[in-house]
Order: sequence, then C-alpha cells, then structure tokens
Amino acid sequence: MREVPATIQGISKHSVASICAVTTGEGVYGIDTREVREVLGESQIRQVPLAPWFIAGVMPYRGEVLAAVSLRAVLGLEPSAERTCVLVLEDDDRGRHFGLIVDAVGGVVAVPEEGLQSNPTTLDARRSALFAGVWQTETGLLVKLEPARLRPSRLAAGGLNGSNTSMERLEARCER
Amino acid sequence: MEDLTKEFLAESREGLERMELCLTELEQRRGDGELVSEIFRVVHTIKGATGFLGFDRLQTLAHAGEGLLAALRDRRIEVTEELISVLLELRDGLVAILEIIEVRGSEGERSDDDDRDLIAWMAELAAGRAVRTQLRQETRRAEEYRKRPVTAGCGDIDRALRVDVDVLNRMMNLVGDLVVTRNQLLQCQPGEACFAELLRRLNGVTTELRESVTQARLQPVGQVFAKFPRMVRDLSQHCGRRVRIEFEGQETALDKSLLEAIRDPLTHAVRNAVDHGIEPEAERLRAGKPAEGTVMLRAYQKNGTVVIEVIDDGAGIPIERVLNKAVERGLITAEAAAGMTEREALQLIFAPGFSTAAEVTSVSGRGVGMDVVRTNVEQAGGKVEIESHLGAGTTLRLRVPLTMAIVPALMVECGGESYALPQRSLAELVHVPAEDAEGVVEKIGAAELYRLRGGLLPLVRLERVLGRCGHADVQGEQRDLYIAVLEPEGQRFGLVVEGLAPPEEIVVKPLSGPLRGIGVYAGATVLGNGTLAMVLDASAIGALAGIQARDEQNVAAAPEERLEERSITPLPQEDSMVVCEVTRRGEDAAVRMAIPLREVERIVTVPIREVEYAGGRSLLQYGTEVLPLEDEGDLLVGLRSIKGSSATVLICAGEKRRSGLVVQRVLDVLPGEYLAQDASVCRDQLVRIDDRILAMRGGTLEQMDIPEGVR
Repeated sequence: MREVPATIQGISKHSVASICAVTTGEGVYGIDTREVREVLGESQIRQVPLAPWFIAGVMPYRGEVLAAVSLRAVLGLEPSAERTCVLVLEDDDRGRHFGLIVDAVGGVVAVPEEGLQSNPTTLDARRSALFAGVWQTETGLLVKLEPARLRPSRLAAGGLNGSNTSMERLEARCER
Repeated sequence: MEDLTKEFLAESREGLERMELCLTELEQRRGDGELVSEIFRVVHTIKGATGFLGFDRLQTLAHAGEGLLAALRDRRIEVTEELISVLLELRDGLVAILEIIEVRGSEGERSDDDDRDLIAWMAELAAGRAVRTQLRQETRRAEEYRKRPVTAGCGDIDRALRVDVDVLNRMMNLVGDLVVTRNQLLQCQPGEACFAELLRRLNGVTTELRESVTQARLQPVGQVFAKFPRMVRDLSQHCGRRVRIEFEGQETALDKSLLEAIRDPLTHAVRNAVDHGIEPEAERLRAGKPAEGTVMLRAYQKNGTVVIEVIDDGAGIPIERVLNKAVERGLITAEAAAGMTEREALQLIFAPGFSTAAEVTSVSGRGVGMDVVRTNVEQAGGKVEIESHLGAGTTLRLRVPLTMAIVPALMVECGGESYALPQRSLAELVHVPAEDAEGVVEKIGAAELYRLRGGLLPLVRLERVLGRCGHADVQGEQRDLYIAVLEPEGQRFGLVVEGLAPPEEIVVKPLSGPLRGIGVYAGATVLGNGTLAMVLDASAIGALAGIQARDEQNVAAAPEERLEERSITPLPQEDSMVVCEVTRRGEDAAVRMAIPLREVERIVTVPIREVEYAGGRSLLQYGTEVLPLEDEGDLLVGLRSIKGSSATVLICAGEKRRSGLVVQRVLDVLPGEYLAQDASVCRDQLVRIDDRILAMRGGTLEQMDIPEGVR
C-alpha cells in the first residue's frame, strides 16, 4: 500500500480543494470532502443474495439502510479479507445516501483545483468512466473520484458490468 | 419574507382550498346560502388583508370577485354552471398570485396573463348578463390533469403539518420525563435497586412518546380527497360526461407520509375512472344505467391497514383486450394468455410497459401508468388490487398500513442468515420433525408438493430462490422441515425455510434502486439485536417461482349482486378450524372448542408473569397493543400458583381490535363444516369436524368487550 500524500506540488493560495484520500488495492483515490457525509470505521455489512455485482451488501446508518458499493468490485479487484472503511456519500437530491467500501481512509489533503489533469487517453474504458481526473503529488498520483459516478443506480444503469472482471483483474495485476 | 406575509399566505391557501370544495358543492345544492356566505367570507378576508399588506393586484381581483359574490348572496343572480366556472377561475387566479408572492416576495407584473378578462367576465355576470365564453381555460386544465404523469417520486409534498397544541404539550412533557430519567440513570450504578426501576420507566416513557408522535402524524384522508371534486368537474366537462363524485370515510386517519405517498396514485386512479371508466351519457342510457356516472372514494380501516377504494360504475375492463394487448406487447405468450384466469389477466394492467397513454385511450381503456401506481403504493408498504366487472364498473383498492412504523414479521432462516417475512401474507406454519420428514414432500418432475389437509401445496425453497446452497442439496440426512404457508395476492404456496425464529415487530426501510430491482426483497430492517435482516416480498417470490393466483370463485358473480355483497362476506360452508381444549365457566372438565383459523393470528406461549391485571381484567402486552385476555375457565389462576409456568394464548383478530384467548392446549387444525344454527339446541354456533360436533368460539370481540356483569 502506498503512502498517502501530505502535500501537493504547485499549491496556490486560491481555489484549493480539500480532498479525502482513500486507498483501495494499489491506488490512492480522492473524493472532495464536501461530498463525504461521514467516514465510518469498520461497519457491519450484511450480504444480500442476488445483489448486483458492485454491491457488497447493506448497512445500517442513522435509521436508513444503505446499499454499500464495493470500490474493489467496481475497480475489478479481488475482495479484500482485511478490515475496511466505509464512506457515506449522497445518493440523490432527496437526502438519501449510500456507502462506499474502501480499504482505508488516509486523511484530508489540500490540492489546487486547477492542478487536476484529465484521464490519460490510454486508460481502459471502465476506469475512464469512473475517474474524473488525476492530481500529481509528491508521493505519486491521486485519482479523483466523483461520488455521482459511483451511485448504485448509476452503476446499475452504466455500461460497466461484472462479466469481464477476470480480464480486468489480469490488467490490474499487470499494472503493478 | 415577513412573518405576517407568510401567515397570510398559509391562511389564504387554506381558505381557497375550502372555497374550491364549497364551489363544487354549491353546484350540487344551488340554493344553499350557507355555502355562498362561506365563499364570500374567504374572498372578503383575502381582500381585507391585501389592502393592509399592499398587494394591489390581489386586491383588485378579490374586489371584483367580492362584487360578484355579493350579487349572488343578495340573490340578484342565480347559480349557473358558468357562474361556478368563473368563480373557480377566480380561485385559481388568486392561488396563482399567492404563488408568485411566495416565490418572489411581491406580486410582480405578469404580462402574459392578465386578470382583466376575468374581472370583466365577473362584472358581466354580476350585472346578470350570461356571457358563455369558451371554457378555454378549463379545457386546458383538464388537459393538464390528463397529461401530468404520475411521478415515481413524491411530487410536490406539503411539508407542513398541523398538530394540536395539546398533543405537542404532551410530547414536551414526555421529553421532559425522558431527560429526567436519563439524568437519574447517569447517577445510578448498574446493579443498584433503582436501576431496574429506572429502566422500566425509560421503557414506559419511550413507548408513550412514540405513540404520541405516531398520533400527531395521523391525518384524515379527506385532506387528499378535497381536491378531487374540482378535478372531476373539470375532467368530466372536458370529456363530455356527467360524473358525480362521492366520499365515504373521509375522517379515516393515515400517517402523513403515507398520505403523501398515495396522493399521486389516487389522483391517477380518479382520473382514469372519469376518463376511461365512465361511459358517455348516451352509452350509459343504452346500458340501462343512470345518465350520471358515479365515482366513489371510500376509505376505511381494516385489520391495522387503511383501505382506500376508487369505485366507478362505468364500463369495466374488457379482459380480452387486456390479454390481446399484453400478447401484442410481448409481456406474455399467446398460450399463457389462453390459460389465464380473469383475475390474473387483470393483474397484467400493473405490468411495467403494459400500456402508454396515447394508446390506452383508443385501445384498451384503462391502465395508464398503472405500474407506477403500484410501485408508489408498494414503496409505502401497501398493496394495490383491482376488480372489474364488464358493464358494471371497476374497483381499484389501495391497502396501506396505518402507520409505516411497525409491521409484525416472522423471522426465518436461510443459509445461516435471518430474513423477515411480513405476517400480512402468512397463513400458517407447518413443522415436520426430522423423523417424520421422509417422504412427506412429493415430487412431480422438479416441482415439490406437500399434502396439507387434503390439498396439495406447491413448495418453494427459499435457498433456491436466493441462489444459495442449502440443506436440500445435502444428500442423505433428513432434517426438520419448516414450511411457511403464504397467501399473497391470491397465490398460495409453502415457502420452505431452514429454521424459524420468534416473530418481531419490524420497521421496514426502503432499499436503494438496484437492490429493489432484484424483486425478492420488500426492504430491510434492523433487528432487536442490532443486525440487519432483509425483508422478503412474498408475492414476488411466488411470482418468481411461477405460482399462479387461484381463481376467485365469486369473480363470475352477477354484477347486480356484487354491489350488495361488497361489505358482507357470506359465511362459508367449510373452513379450517383450530381445535383446542378450554375449560368453560362452571365446568371442571376441559372441552374441545373450534375457532376459525382465519381469526387466529398467532399462537403464543406467554410466561405467566407477563400476564398483567388491571381493573379486574387480565391483560397482555402484545407489541404496542394491550390485549384483553379471555379466560373463561380461570386457567390463569391455576397457572399462577405454579412457578415458571406459561399460558397458551391464541391471538385472535377481531373487527376492531385483537384479543387473546387463553386455552389449555391447541390440538390440531382441521377442516370443519358449519352447521345451521338452532337456538333451541344450543346457543353456540356448531361445527362438524371429523364427524364430531364441536362448539365454535362464541361470537365476535364486540361481545367480549362488554364487561361480564353487563352481558
């Protein structure tokens, strides 16, 4: 697992976004803190038979029952046996939420908003649909995730599907 | 915005809503001076306040309206259809300006639609000259009603709720109690004598608080009904039909959020009834019906649910057309259509993609977005049923829980996980111990059947539905067989589960879209121990397993009979009976008694210390309810002397409330035949079960609720 970047090159005073950095597999990903409602430590996830491939289960949260999307599944990685963290994100405009299961939450980093670079054109279709761009940091790349693209309804409707996961997994291994 | 303006807006809105109702009523009862005064007051109040707040445009319009209403009040002019139309127009005009004020804080100037036409029209009418202009705006509005889709969401929700100050005070007192109790608890160590006492008090306060919040959320369904007279008037004028709307049970209370949830489906149903259900006047006369069609909205409470019916006396739904349409749309195959019962065919109307607006009006007559209606109602934990008789009319029935709060559910196990099965659809439970289990399940091909009281019950294995590997796949070893007999929506099948756990009262939480889309789950719930359980949707599981609804015998009944029958179900000749042993008053020996199975909700074993006494009656806390216990033979007294003993109680459903019947033991469930009642032989209703004659438990709960001395 890579170290979470503490500072970022070329930081300027104006338009600094604060990003919640999370790690999953080998990658470090960032989600705007304004879009993260809460970070939960290890949560009890209840598996749901027949659930779509990207949903690891359901979890209780403040009187709601949230669908928990597994970032590992979405990225086509093997499920992790280790402990995980859950981010609570907005699901729609009517105040509903969903959970995003990640390996670990690193902390909050400040990045310049204009420093965001677009996805490389060589990125595979699955990832370019998910990633909103990338920042360069001292310790490596920080990939921007947009919660809206990870919503269960969006994933269910989107072109991503779980059928070619073995191929993707192979690719993931090659990336290392 | 200033508080004063806000208050003015709220009050005016309310007044104008009342005005709309009064106007539609006035059209029916044209000579009613009371109604005219009421309408006058509403407009007058608005005019008075606007002068003070400085809304000139509103004032000018209200002033013109007041002039017309004054003429009407002083009987200078008569109530005509046109007059009602112009007054409705006035009401809409006022509402439109109020809306602008709410958004912008001032009335603003709108160039596109001026009030001048309306004011001139009113002035003409006030002078006694009929203008008879094209009812262009009304036509437009009717179009809007027809086009406005039923949205999957909640649409425009009324966020405000009126709560009685007394109820609010009570809540505040309870919250005060809650805080005090918490403070005391903080100072008290676990294990101290006061601790248990405090916990008990905490329990009491929370229960009471929950009750009063639930109470405050209950609103009469009349709130939703209120806008229908106007809608029906506009629509019927547009469609060129004569339709009268009637209400029954407007005071029936329903949880606020549920009320909002059924608002759109109901609007849709009423719109359908007028647009497609009621025939044109000439056609009705030809069929020997009154020229004026009736749409009746009826609400009532039944077994903890609220039933809302939209009944029209129109043409009914032609089954063949529905079937043809479904085949055409590829929803079913032609062979399947041929084998369908009338009831099943009607259900097709709720199938997604059955029909779209444009085609329905010309082709099948009904079914515009009915799948959305069903989805909306089901999301609120309710159900939709449809019943139609060709030539006699259609009834759409929405069943919604009284509050969304709590549903009793049976906990079942599968693959090591617990699932909740709402008891609504549960008929009974069958347990076959491992030693008897061999050979009881018969097979025809892959289909499994269980012989239950002479009938064959198709079995569905939960682990297979959920795609899990279960006990059935482990060869050799015989295990206990647990079958939950389910009867959702007229289907009947046995769901085989791996284990049963005690029932719980659960709060069903909605699921996010993709999970709802699986179709097997109705929601999820947090159990008493803090874990999550998925709530199973019995009817979806049945449909998934290919269980077909049984044909209802009375579907073919003649339409004239149906109207009378609606509220009275005739006593069937045969019924499943619970046979149990009881001791009757003044007798020592236990006798056998029969109770119709459909009256028994649950059989529970209650530790005798949980039976409480108040006012000389034995009571049982059952969920949030307090049930009176019926104990003729004073079994409880005997049990009380034995430490750690428990009583067997049948939880019986009644017309109004549940009650508990204390019995010595439950023997069996058997088919029984009702015998004609003859008071000279025996006062009780008798049933023949296995060639023995047994008395049936006497009568209903109303009788039981009367204290012993009075009877």
